[in-house]
Amino acid sequence: MKNYWWKFLGVLLLIYTFVFGLLTPLKTGITAASPYSLQAGQTQVVTVQGYNSFFTKEKEKLRAWLKTGSEFALAASQIEAVDDRTVKLTFHVPAHLPTDSKVKDFTLLIDSPADGASILPGGLSIKQDSVNEAAGKALWTASPISQLHEKEAITFPFRNILGETIRNTYYHVPMWMAMFIILIGAVVFSIKYLINPDADYDRKAMALTNVGLLLGILGLITGAIWAKNTWGKYWSWDVKQNMTAIALLIYSAYFVLRASFEDPEKKARISAVFNIFAFASIVPLIYIIPKLTDSLHPGAGGNIAFGSQDLDNTMRMIFYPAIIGWALLGLWIGEVILRTARIRERILDA
Amino acid sequence: MNLFSQILYLLHKEITLEWRQRYAISGILLYVLSTVFIVYISFQNIGPQVWNVLFWIIMLFASVNAVMKSFVQESGYRQLYYFQLLHPIAIILSKMIYNALLLLVLGVLTFTSLAFIAGNPVQHAAEFALVLFLGSTGFSITFTFVSAIAAKADNSSTLMAVLSFPVVIPVLLLLVNLSAHSIGLLGGTEMGDKIMLLAAVDMILVALGLVLFPFLWRD
Repeated sequence: MKNYWWKFLGVLLLIYTFVFGLLTPLKTGITAASPYSLQAGQTQVVTVQGYNSFFTKEKEKLRAWLKTGSEFALAASQIEAVDDRTVKLTFHVPAHLPTDSKVKDFTLLIDSPADGASILPGGLSIKQDSVNEAAGKALWTASPISQLHEKEAITFPFRNILGETIRNTYYHVPMWMAMFIILIGAVVFSIKYLINPDADYDRKAMALTNVGLLLGILGLITGAIWAKNTWGKYWSWDVKQNMTAIALLIYSAYFVLRASFEDPEKKARISAVFNIFAFASIVPLIYIIPKLTDSLHPGAGGNIAFGSQDLDNTMRMIFYPAIIGWALLGLWIGEVILRTARIRERILDA
Repeated sequence: MNLFSQILYLLHKEITLEWRQRYAISGILLYVLSTVFIVYISFQNIGPQVWNVLFWIIMLFASVNAVMKSFVQESGYRQLYYFQLLHPIAIILSKMIYNALLLLVLGVLTFTSLAFIAGNPVQHAAEFALVLFLGSTGFSITFTFVSAIAAKADNSSTLMAVLSFPVVIPVLLLLVNLSAHSIGLLGGTEMGDKIMLLAAVDMILVALGLVLFPFLWRD
């Protein structure tokens, strides 16, 4: 029992991430607003679609604004909650906008005591015929945003386009990090083998590389499923996807190399050398090249990384345990591979 | 003999050997010429973008073929002889330098023949020359090291392709990117950074090759 605690820990952490990562609801969000474009100086009704929203609950306390920057906002004059997911907002748009251009994008903000504040960034654009920035600034400060509510329940953040796929942060990203932890372990055993040629070090390096490859393939698949839902295609020839595929090719070559030697000592030594060389060439592949070209992937090509803005504290409580959980599960699989390799050798020796 | 004179001596040996049995180098040169011609016949009209990619693909395949023999051709007895006389670092370094020179010649030949047949789209000649130099160095380092690994196995020619192509892709991508800039296909001002990056990748690969080769060597 004393020696197995980490296996239990890994499984518990993964159960925890599966249960809470999938069951916790998303925060209220706004998915669409129509019409998309408004005209300055007119009174218009905008129909807004909510996500996980409860507009009819305390509907007399609903409030809504169109805002730009932190200082200019326009409150909706009339709000009618059609049902929990739909609300109709009436705006008296003033004749002038607080800008010196003809068209400006505004962020829609809805606040309710039940759902907290939710936004649709750049969701509506307003056209104006005559530009008068000073008058616009005066008109747009008449109804400032005040006293926004916070949603009480534990939720994950809602992001447009991402929607429910934000949960992939608990699978794709931790698998990827666990893969790196495990591949670093494999390189360490390869170095140890070169310093002290003990056949067990080679078996450990082989087992860990096996698991690393498995986690890499899983990471690629979960990433592709996510890409289908957000980018529209499983494979978009995105630089990150291509580099990952190449990295997996390099590690597959490791096994081709191992298979082509008869002599176990020679096999161990040469595959250890190749493992170190391969790892060093993967670092520029995954960390440097994607930074040089445009990529759709979060954290590259001007896209926001999850870590900087989207990963809030509720997500961290699941994200970090998920990394440890996947790494421990990987180690467990690696241990099984290692033990089968040892037994196979013993049978062949006998 | 110290390391430096060992390297010089080995380089001298490589070049003499190559010169005496000219069939190897003339084979590679003919390989490049016929590939360029086949490419020309298949494409007929080669725009700058295609030119750039074709140039590096021809370089890639010609380089693999040229470098593959560097360890495979040496017999076991000669390896044993080297092992008693020389430092392993001298051997791998001399091979890398020799192959870099060979690939540079190959690159110049590929460039001239492609420019002769399909026109010369290069606008910044000095930059292109620098990229070509860094490219042949990078190819030479990677392929020399991989051929040292592949030579240990029986099916060395398959292994050579399987092991070296994925590993060389970062270098290849940087090269295509940089030479696209020297052709005038890409704007962008951060080319200095990319050249530094390419040089850095080359340095890392050399360092790894030097550290790891002594382990490959002893049989």
